[in-house]
Amino acid sequence: MKPHRTLAFAWLAALPPAAVTVWQALQLPAIASGASLTERYGWAPALGLEMALRLDGLSLFFGLIVTGIGACIAFYTAYYFEKDARQGFFYLLLYAFMGSMLGLVWSDDLLTMFVFWEGTSITSYLLIAFKTDNKAATEGARRALIVTSVGALSMLAGMIVLGLHVGSFNISTILATPDIASAAVTPVALALIFLGAFTKSAQFPFQFWLPGAMAAPTPASAYLHSATMVKAGVFLLARLHPAFSELPMWFWTLFLVGGVTMVLGGVSAIRYTDMKALLAYATVAILGMLVMLLAFREEYAYEAFVVTVAAHALYKAPLFLSAGIVDHAMGTRDLRKLAGLARSLPVVMITVVLAALAMAGVPPTLGFLAKELVLENFYDLYEHGDLIAGGVGYVAAAVASLFMVGAILTLVWEAFFRRRPDEEGAHLHHAPAFGFVAPALLLTVLGATGALFTDAYANLLFAPAIAAISGEAIHLELKLWYGFTPVFITSLVILTLGILVFLGRGLLRRGFARTSPRLSSLVAYDAAINGVYRLANRVTTLIQGSPMAPQLSVTLLAGVAVMAYALFFTNAQTSVLLDSLEIPSIPEWLIFVLAIFGAITTVRARSRLSAIIALGVVGVTVTLFFVVFGAPDLALTQLLIEVLTVILLVLVFFRVRPDPQLASDGRTPFRLFVAFAMGFFGFAVVMVNHLSQVGESISPYFIENSLSIGKGANVVNVILVDIRGYDTMGEITVLSVAALGGYALLRSPQLHALRQRINAARRGQQPAQAQKIEGPGHD
Amino acid sequence: MTEIYLRLVDLILTPIIMLIAIMLFLRGHDLPGGGFIAGLVFASAIELTILARGAEATRARYGPWLVPLVGVGLSAAVTAGLIGIYGGGFFRSMWIEFYLGAEKVKFGTPQLFDLGVMLVVIGMAITYLSRLSETAELAIRENQREEGGQS
Repeated sequence: MKPHRTLAFAWLAALPPAAVTVWQALQLPAIASGASLTERYGWAPALGLEMALRLDGLSLFFGLIVTGIGACIAFYTAYYFEKDARQGFFYLLLYAFMGSMLGLVWSDDLLTMFVFWEGTSITSYLLIAFKTDNKAATEGARRALIVTSVGALSMLAGMIVLGLHVGSFNISTILATPDIASAAVTPVALALIFLGAFTKSAQFPFQFWLPGAMAAPTPASAYLHSATMVKAGVFLLARLHPAFSELPMWFWTLFLVGGVTMVLGGVSAIRYTDMKALLAYATVAILGMLVMLLAFREEYAYEAFVVTVAAHALYKAPLFLSAGIVDHAMGTRDLRKLAGLARSLPVVMITVVLAALAMAGVPPTLGFLAKELVLENFYDLYEHGDLIAGGVGYVAAAVASLFMVGAILTLVWEAFFRRRPDEEGAHLHHAPAFGFVAPALLLTVLGATGALFTDAYANLLFAPAIAAISGEAIHLELKLWYGFTPVFITSLVILTLGILVFLGRGLLRRGFARTSPRLSSLVAYDAAINGVYRLANRVTTLIQGSPMAPQLSVTLLAGVAVMAYALFFTNAQTSVLLDSLEIPSIPEWLIFVLAIFGAITTVRARSRLSAIIALGVVGVTVTLFFVVFGAPDLALTQLLIEVLTVILLVLVFFRVRPDPQLASDGRTPFRLFVAFAMGFFGFAVVMVNHLSQVGESISPYFIENSLSIGKGANVVNVILVDIRGYDTMGEITVLSVAALGGYALLRSPQLHALRQRINAARRGQQPAQAQKIEGPGHD
Repeated sequence: MTEIYLRLVDLILTPIIMLIAIMLFLRGHDLPGGGFIAGLVFASAIELTILARGAEATRARYGPWLVPLVGVGLSAAVTAGLIGIYGGGFFRSMWIEFYLGAEKVKFGTPQLFDLGVMLVVIGMAITYLSRLSETAELAIRENQREEGGQS
């Protein structure tokens, strides 16, 4: 693509999210004055399901981050995938994610939120596994999906518990319910919801999926796994904060989990030489800090929360984007192979240095303001006598921060300024266009200067968000300079110690290298997953490990057991009315005899082809029954299925050879018994079902309403596509999954090898390796 | 070779069967037919081509669109459901009726849904049929080749 065309494409791609950003920004004044926008759609009104959206301070704040950063990412992607054939697919996933994420933060209904939540999980999975031939990518994607969806299912359970208790899934209604915090079900519901939020936001001990997600293309890492999706859990906690934060359970869970995550993530970031992995751990630390801040009900905590979210989005996304540019330009993002990039990539250097200053909390960046507020919160608590929360929190936040200072200094120094790399250095492939760097630079500049004019926007952007989290309106006055307070001095100490950490990075890395890998929660996860695989393997071997015939016996006997239970242990047989049995007419008798004849022929057939054809005869007689009883739709369907089944069976038997031992293994009596039991119980269940009168038949309802409700005279079709459309939806979904399974299964390696041989033979040359492949005809 | 007769049958019958399938689909809401049946009929038309000309030639004739039909159909069905949200709920049916001369014509989301069903059925049936046919074809050719080599 020519440069100017890439640029035009970048603008075009960034346009939709940018437009939504502008629209949201235009709502700011109204929302700041206390109003909110609500929209509700019936989803399944009969079930009480609805899709509710609400734009208030918190959702607008997060929504602006989603679309604002999203526009920059969309712009950047045009350059990142400049010559990639799969660029379109990436954009599809990116926009799908953006829509889900925006829906998530806008939703005012727990179930609506859940649907969007899962939408982000699935798009995240597809984005991490984008390089489908990379094993680390697919494994990381699967891990991320399993961890977050197990959490999401638990969260769904919690949401249902909460929603059933309140009688509504509407978030505004739930938050406004009096005494909801002291309800008996609340601890259970909250514990389940916490699990969802903590897995999504990579909290300890689930943090391990996030570094694995770094196999995703860099735009996805910057967007999903730093700026937006991983904040979904934090967002949910902030949403629920007004109603539940008074509970001790809320405080201690969030304080401890967030605190541990923050310290672990912050301290371990410096260990990694992959730029993205280093940044991922720093992200884990910030996510922990955000969760920890939500434990409190203090004004400083709220302020620290919103400013940290904003600052983090504005410095971490550019750092990721720059890592992607370095990767693009140098062919690697491993710090050991990089050095002196300041000369070859000057604009990237400026971006990274500005973002690093914000991350380290150097005044006057937004990052500095965020860190001041975090420390101020804990210091304030400490001063007011809360020694544990204040003191421990203060120390933990300081420790995590100083290690992050060390980590980011390491990144900047090793990649951009030092003379010589540790290992053989990488060389510049091609210098990035300015448009490639521009989005990162824009975000960085906003983050670096944002704290200077907070007066202009704090009460427009931050205050409504805080009001939504705390439940009370506030007026904000954020200041950068409070004088030489203890907090400011701590900030300076953090920076100094951070430099010491940077200088001692070699020692730290060696120390980390010596820690046992068994300490990671990844080990526990792998053990659990392998356990599930082993269990599945064992169960499958038990039920389906044998050849076809015994396997079929197991399945059929299970069916017999179910039918026997239905017949003998329920009250089905008590209501049988033999009077309604009619004597069949002559044509019916004829069909009947034909069907039996066909069945006997099938069983006695010597060749498989005749057996298949005889089976087809049985099917056709059943079709005739449908014709006689005036069910043309069923007859048509049955006939078509019979025809296709015969074709399918013929095709299948080309591959499957008859088992010569089957007739002489002495188990024929047992198989006869299974066949007879299945046939008898099938017959008995159908008869009892037909003859018993349980309640009123629903058929008249369908016949009466088909034309008026469904606007169709064909009742069967109206039932299928309209009245019971949900059923059909489920059925075609199953069909689709079956089609996918068949597609994958029938692409077996054996088939592939066979095809290669044929093609080679057709070209008149011998295949490279003449391996013997089983065909049906030659033994 | 018998294949020649089969190809002649394919040439004449396949378009007719496809037209019948489309007719069955279009009238399905009021007369016997509908997406499921129409899908099966359409799939058997394609299978006739596969039997007469082989899976590879069939793929060449219909292009790469047969297997993805499953996804297209599922999307159409979901779209039909989503349109219903506008009318008050997921899967709430929506109809447009108008007169074309004296003939009353109606279009509705259930028909779109039915189209989705039809596409899924075609896609699924063809996935299995073409893959299995291909395997069988290869096996046959393999046999012929080996027999030819031995003689």
